[in-house]
Amino acid sequence: MNLQGAIKALRAETARPAECGERELLARVEQRDIQAFERLYRMYQPRLARFLTHMLQRPQLVEEVLNDTMMVVWQGAGNFRGESKLSTWIFAIAYRKALKARRCWPDPIEDEALHSRPSPGPGADQHIQHQKLRDALVGAMARLSAEHRAVVDLTYFHDLGYREIAEIVGCPVDTVKTRMFHARRRLRQALPGDLGDWV
Amino acid sequence: MANFPGANEQPHDEAEALLPWYATGQLDARDRAIVENHLQDCAQCQQQLFVERRIVDEFGTLVPQVENGWVKLRASIKAPVQSQRPPLFQPLVEMWRGAVTRPPVMGLVAAQALFLLIGGGVLLSLERPQVTQYHALGSAPAPAQANMIVMFQENTTEQQMRDALEASGASLVGGPTAADAYLLHVEANGRTRAIASLQSDRHVTLAQPIDGSTG
Repeated sequence: MNLQGAIKALRAETARPAECGERELLARVEQRDIQAFERLYRMYQPRLARFLTHMLQRPQLVEEVLNDTMMVVWQGAGNFRGESKLSTWIFAIAYRKALKARRCWPDPIEDEALHSRPSPGPGADQHIQHQKLRDALVGAMARLSAEHRAVVDLTYFHDLGYREIAEIVGCPVDTVKTRMFHARRRLRQALPGDLGDWV
Repeated sequence: MANFPGANEQPHDEAEALLPWYATGQLDARDRAIVENHLQDCAQCQQQLFVERRIVDEFGTLVPQVENGWVKLRASIKAPVQSQRPPLFQPLVEMWRGAVTRPPVMGLVAAQALFLLIGGGVLLSLERPQVTQYHALGSAPAPAQANMIVMFQENTTEQQMRDALEASGASLVGGPTAADAYLLHVEANGRTRAIASLQSDRHVTLAQPIDGSTG
């Protein structure tokens, strides 16, 4: 086994108990255990908040859609058949809820204040450069469609493979690759400076 | 048929399409081999891989500012409160419900049972862990402490309950208990008016303070 194989196996080993723990929680949620549901909520809230923030581009909607998502989990815990990871199921619910919410508020707004920014580092120039880069990325993300943003977010920030993303957004894997391809091109176009400046 | 740019496809295009997932370590062995073989000879993809990793790093520093909405969600879930109630109270609940349609003498007996029931229900609700103990900094204000209790006739609709509460100026902070009682909060200077308002509502069967005040 090569190094990468060993790392992957280690990740799988460490991920397994977490997935088992989540499923145990879900089984308790199905039995209407509110404490288990609160634990599950707190486990998923940060990840869903990030995902929905990028998808919705409207901070005032994020909490509402997030809670709608988790309410579906609460009410429909028995509907989870275990054919996918629990996170895939929950993110798929969030994706559908977000698309539905966007139909009511279809016009995206560019709101860079959605994100907190790290405090300036030791080098002011370096900080300005980072800030410029982040602003460009956030702006470029805001101009993507919600479907493209979802794929970018799930890839870059949630470390999901294209097959799992296809399950979440309910489309073929080639569609995921196509969306990612076009989204990356748009992101690159929005970046300040030449490609060489980045490397 | 695959339709993404690079499907059917030149090795460069296929590898480039996989780069984001290579950068995040999410490719299986076959896909990874495709990318790694191609990267050895393609300066453009090597450069692009740096950009991918930079994007991942930069976006990773962005933290969305979203309030934790657990308190709100918890407030909208009523079922567990009922399901966790011990069966001990069921006979008293039945007695109370029956009393509504029985002669006055039975109603008196039922009222005594009701007194015990409400006292027990309030104690239980006070013993339950308060949602405020999980209250996160920056999240919505914690619910107020209950200082009144109200009960409605069995066939009262949600809208009628809302109307009654709105007219009284009281805020709902808990319930329904096993006896279908609701816990309310009302400011001290509005308590007398709130009780009078609720007691005059035809859907209300009981409205009284629960914190020792006489109203």
